[in-house]
Amino acid sequence: MTTAIDVESITLRVAEIMIEELKLEDVTPATFDPEIDLIDEVGIDSMDLATVALVLRDEYAIRIDEDDYPKLTNIRLISEYVDKKLKNAS
Amino acid sequence: MKDNLSNKEWKFSEILADQKIRAKWDKVRKYFFLRESTYDIANRCNIRCEGCYYYEGDKQFAEENRDPAAWRELMRAEKARGITYVVLAGAEPSLVPELCKVCFQEMPLGTIATNGLKFISGSINYKIHISVWGNDATSSKVRDAKNMLPRQIENYQGDPRAVFVYTFTHDNIDQAREVAGILAEHGCKLTFNMFSAPVGYEGQLRHTVSSLNQTRKIMIELLEEYPASVLFSHYNAVAHTHQSGLHDLYSCSYPRMNPSTDIGLGRSFRQYRADLTWNRVAACCVPDTDCADCRHYASGSAIITARLFRHATDPETFKAWLDYVDTYLAIWVMGYEKSDNLCRYVVAPPGQPVF
Repeated sequence: MTTAIDVESITLRVAEIMIEELKLEDVTPATFDPEIDLIDEVGIDSMDLATVALVLRDEYAIRIDEDDYPKLTNIRLISEYVDKKLKNAS
Repeated sequence: MKDNLSNKEWKFSEILADQKIRAKWDKVRKYFFLRESTYDIANRCNIRCEGCYYYEGDKQFAEENRDPAAWRELMRAEKARGITYVVLAGAEPSLVPELCKVCFQEMPLGTIATNGLKFISGSINYKIHISVWGNDATSSKVRDAKNMLPRQIENYQGDPRAVFVYTFTHDNIDQAREVAGILAEHGCKLTFNMFSAPVGYEGQLRHTVSSLNQTRKIMIELLEEYPASVLFSHYNAVAHTHQSGLHDLYSCSYPRMNPSTDIGLGRSFRQYRADLTWNRVAACCVPDTDCADCRHYASGSAIITARLFRHATDPETFKAWLDYVDTYLAIWVMGYEKSDNLCRYVVAPPGQPVF
């Protein structure tokens, strides 16, 4: 249960970071579909993902491997990735 | 020289707390929307240069598609799949101005790579990269073209589109002083490229460790002597004259060396031949280059720029990267003005020795 709540809060925060860093319009953290494909449907690319990854690195003090970017194609996957890293670190 | 071996783990926000870094970061990140592809728009050239990448491999035999409607259709299709930036190259785009015009009408951001002997109309508002391979004596020898530099300057002096691209080979290093002096005197912008041997090339232009070191010194000397003319940074000099090529240093992100189709260049980049076909296996900005020897300015512009994450480790490395990206944008994007470099010393590529 705790994990589920954590992932949800991470999901909201990732959405917030995405919106803020990439200046996304017409969407809020609450309305950002965590399953939407960031590359095909939102149109973000590797530089955008790198920017978001840097902010996530700061916020959660986790190490993000460049090779992992291609797997992080939606907010749900990013959140689960962060959650897993946090669990491994604890 | 600054090292980046400090043990401190920097947060990105700490790096950005420096106002100069923050300002340059905010300036360059506005251009992260650029998505490039390249196009051989003609298979003819009005000169023939030793070591020319175009006349290597199969692409030189592609039949020219000279139909403006076909090019317009291609540009529209490219735009539809997310391409925002075009590079028109091989063999000599100035020989097909009507096709360049169509591309510009459909895709307003781009660059034309030319030898500069035939003027490209100002109505095509792309950056124009004019290739220079040494002084005129050398041009006569390796390009079989006389008075190249005066003719190139006559065509493009005072043209805000123009950037002269001096390609350092093993044999023309010292001549860069003479050429840079002439270009600076005429108010022309200049940047540097490195000869990168085509696959199977056995001529004398290929660099050695000694010529790489000598080139780096002259690049930095000219950058400091002609700061108003030379579009470059110390980190450009390090990255392009390192004993390791760009792929070994940064892992090339072009499809030819990058199997991933998930994101970035591996997903979107295409290199079209003159017949409008493309082949993922061969796709990179300078096809038929020996990847191990690739230090090409065009490939660096994409590969190093894409490596944001690994440069955001400490302020010095990040400043070096920002200088590089700022330089790249000034060379390739109309209307973008280069700022002063943040690093006036050499910084090692991430995880590598400085040279």
